[in-house]
Amino acid sequence: MESLGITYRAIGPELVLTVTGVLVMLLEAFSPGKKVRDGVLAAAGVVLAGVAALILWDEGPVTAFSRMVIVDGFRVFFTLVILLGTLLTIFVSWSFLDEERIPPGEYFALLLFGAVGMTLLVAGNDLVMLFLALETITIATYVLAGYRREDLRSTESALKYFLLGAFSSAFLLYGIALIYGATRTTNLGEIARIVSGPLGRAEIVLLMAGGAMLLIGFGFKVATVPFHVWTPDVYEGAPTPVTAFLSTAPKAAGFAAFLRVFSLTFAPLGIESAADHLASHWVSAVTAMSILSMTFGNFIAIAQTNIKRMLAYSSIAHAGYVLIGVLARDWAAVAFYMLVYTLMNLGCFAIVALWARRGDERVLIADYAGLGFRQPLLSFPLAIFLVSLAGFPGTAGFVAKFWLFKSAWGAGFPELVLIGVLNTVVSVYYYLYVVIVMFFREPKEEVPRVPPSRAFVATMVVALVGVFYLGLLPTRVFAFLNAAQNLLAIGAR
Amino acid sequence: MEGHLLSWLTFAPTGGALLLLFARVLLGAREETIRRLALALSLVPLGLCVPLLARFDPTASGPQMVERAPWIRFFGFNVDYFVGVDGLSLWFVVLSALLVTISILASWRAIDRHVLEFHIFLLLLETGLIGVFVALDMFLFFIFWEVMLVPMYFLIGIWGYERRIYAAVKFIIYTMVGSALMLAAIISLYYLNGGTTFDILAITENARAGRLALAPQTERWLFWGFALAFLIKVPLFPFHTWLPDAHVEAPTAGSVILAGVLLKMGGYGLLRFNLPLFPHATEEFAGLLCALAILSIIYGALVSMVQPDLKKLIAYSSVSHMGFVVLGIMARTEMGMQGAIFQMLSHGISTGALFVIVGVLSERRHTRVIAEFGGLARPMPVFSALFGILALASVALPTLSGFVGEFLVLVGTYTSELAHARAYTVLAATAMILSAAYMLWTLERVLFGEITREENRHLPDVNGRERLALIPMAVLVIVMGVLPNPILRRTDRAVSEVKRGAVLVQLEPQRVPNPALPEAARQRAEFMKRR
Repeated sequence: MESLGITYRAIGPELVLTVTGVLVMLLEAFSPGKKVRDGVLAAAGVVLAGVAALILWDEGPVTAFSRMVIVDGFRVFFTLVILLGTLLTIFVSWSFLDEERIPPGEYFALLLFGAVGMTLLVAGNDLVMLFLALETITIATYVLAGYRREDLRSTESALKYFLLGAFSSAFLLYGIALIYGATRTTNLGEIARIVSGPLGRAEIVLLMAGGAMLLIGFGFKVATVPFHVWTPDVYEGAPTPVTAFLSTAPKAAGFAAFLRVFSLTFAPLGIESAADHLASHWVSAVTAMSILSMTFGNFIAIAQTNIKRMLAYSSIAHAGYVLIGVLARDWAAVAFYMLVYTLMNLGCFAIVALWARRGDERVLIADYAGLGFRQPLLSFPLAIFLVSLAGFPGTAGFVAKFWLFKSAWGAGFPELVLIGVLNTVVSVYYYLYVVIVMFFREPKEEVPRVPPSRAFVATMVVALVGVFYLGLLPTRVFAFLNAAQNLLAIGAR
Repeated sequence: MEGHLLSWLTFAPTGGALLLLFARVLLGAREETIRRLALALSLVPLGLCVPLLARFDPTASGPQMVERAPWIRFFGFNVDYFVGVDGLSLWFVVLSALLVTISILASWRAIDRHVLEFHIFLLLLETGLIGVFVALDMFLFFIFWEVMLVPMYFLIGIWGYERRIYAAVKFIIYTMVGSALMLAAIISLYYLNGGTTFDILAITENARAGRLALAPQTERWLFWGFALAFLIKVPLFPFHTWLPDAHVEAPTAGSVILAGVLLKMGGYGLLRFNLPLFPHATEEFAGLLCALAILSIIYGALVSMVQPDLKKLIAYSSVSHMGFVVLGIMARTEMGMQGAIFQMLSHGISTGALFVIVGVLSERRHTRVIAEFGGLARPMPVFSALFGILALASVALPTLSGFVGEFLVLVGTYTSELAHARAYTVLAATAMILSAAYMLWTLERVLFGEITREENRHLPDVNGRERLALIPMAVLVIVMGVLPNPILRRTDRAVSEVKRGAVLVQLEPQRVPNPALPEAARQRAEFMKRR
């Protein structure tokens, strides 16, 4: 009988985030409306959670809490990505909270609770744990998406997100039940052990059905075609800082879970086993999802006139690229991609949020006309982030894509690489269209001055330094990931 | 600085761009100061070309002034910062540095909006241009190759003429299609070489020694992966349609750099990658590419003939002249390849200068339509003399630079072992007559005859700044035409090495199969037998 393994260190980051969230909420209850105090407290909590995650860095793969939670480099890195996304979202929300007169305490608390769910999702080593974490995320994010209560679009966005989210959760839950039926356990380590051997006919059928359900559920969560339909509406309707959050941190967490279940647990072993049987199916399904996401996302993004919708379709396309990494089963490449994507996408949205102003007045691409030389502090960073999203060399976007494509080629998916690189050409068109509008077109009316806040400048500095540092000198982060990958390879199975 | 000449040369313009930014932000420099400062800063890389040429040893084999440092290290992801020059790249580095200075001189009055940003983009572009030619690591090469597109896109899009947005988008999409496939080819080549290095020279050496055993079908794919990117850049018919738009809509400086340096990257890439790495596929497709080159030569010349717009005429003439480059490279004789390099240099200088000439005219008259001019020789004698020399250099009049290049290409093609080599030579030679026809006719319509428009009667002749840009170019085309040897002597060694790798080794047993890739080696041996 093994011990319950209650080690609080193992959930250090989650504990810190939860305590901070509760504290912010209590403070709001007793002395409401102190934005700076709540914001600084929330940011400090996130940073502290990052420290708590880094402490776990060297602890090799170990499990805790009856093997519900796992501690490994994979988790630590994804946790850091999520925390970075949360921290930048706090900055991006800074002036938005004043404009919309939103009580800051509950907003920050919801962000933190959302982050708790995401870090738990990354740490989960059990299907039940994954489900609980997902639900924690979704409750927080439903509320956030509907934050502009009087705005119809925001309400529609929240409702859509809620309904489709509930729908996909049902799929996930059903999948978990079926897999439990096939393997008699929900623990991922146990499942990996069981599927590495042969299984009976009935179990195989259950496993297949369960795997398919899980694939659909995760497909919804990370917004891949054909489970993407909610994305543009939700991204458009939600307040811009919330969109920034939704498009980065939950996505990183979703991909982490996706990787943990499919690339690590259901990985083909090259022998006669249930896993290989299953893999022959999930690999082709994910290949189709990847190709569809890239192609649909990019082509539909071309036709968008609203920059938030355009970025929504671009995020679908990026999910397609990341699925290539899931197929190549190179989690480090995916983790790096999500880090880079978080930086450049949050950078983009920070500018969109600042320029949109109260009530999302200026979110059409046409509203960016003439921004180029009149607001260089907005236009040049936005151009850099867009160029990075398009994957131009010298920026982090290129290194991340290059690594994904290189892994995929090595893992035997050359056709995906070809489709991927051709898709980047398509994406260049719409990313640079924004640049055209900003720099090459004259504005119809006088361009108003938008004073950047200090929080905005901080976001820009972090995102720009990140985009260039990871684009030009990624070796250090690579080494970090490499060490984590080796540890995982030793400890896994 | 002693050991880092090439790095200085590559990154001096980037430093210059930062200095310009500081001059504006911290010191509040005005536009005229920015222009002067940019000119001075562009002289730094040009000045560094002097020690570059002085230190270059024409007899040495392999790259020189090499700098190598580990850059990105990750298992199986060994990217080096690896630069060096050899005979293939040496003169293009010099050409890039020269043309950027000329561009700044030519933009003095033409650019009156966002002067600071213009010069920053131009200097950043220069880093990309030089970087492409000195990079010896595929990853580094690709970075420079792509990075360069961004400033060029802005130069066309912001400072171009009416249809600039269309032209800028077309330019970037065309180029990106090529480079996306090249990226896939680079990744694939990296794995086929064992997955340890992006070092171009090491991979070339493996290919030469027969250790890079590619299956015939793989080799064909890789050949086209690289070739398509380069042929779009050259541009070869039928991939040329971006060029007239980009050239015509770009500001003078953009056209000079496009015609002068960007097109040359295509030819350089073919020599650096396709010929040495994929000799069998090159052999297989050389005939096709030569035929397309002939088509480009004739088509470009014919279309030039009917252009009413002077800038468009010169743009189409580039298609024609660059056809000679592909022909010379694909002939794969030493003379042909030498001729191709020489033709690229000559075309870079003469066509670059012709775009400055067009800029001079359109600054004065705000039109480029040939019919608007006539009889300019009387009000603008110096201008006319310069236009005449440069146009004649472009149509390959003996004693001017164009002749050396085209003559070498024709002789090189004639003596090559290509099928139908003589027919190609005859067809290409015919096009020389066409090009003489359209250029001389243009000269006649613009410079000679009666003055038909009153406005032209008192046009001011070229001023001091324009003379400073144009006279060195005119002198260069004459010097290169009379004394081509200093250039050819420095390219000779590298070209013969390309030839050694490109022409299939006849002795079968010299091939050492890579023990790591027995299957591919076997397929290659079969491929050889079938040949």
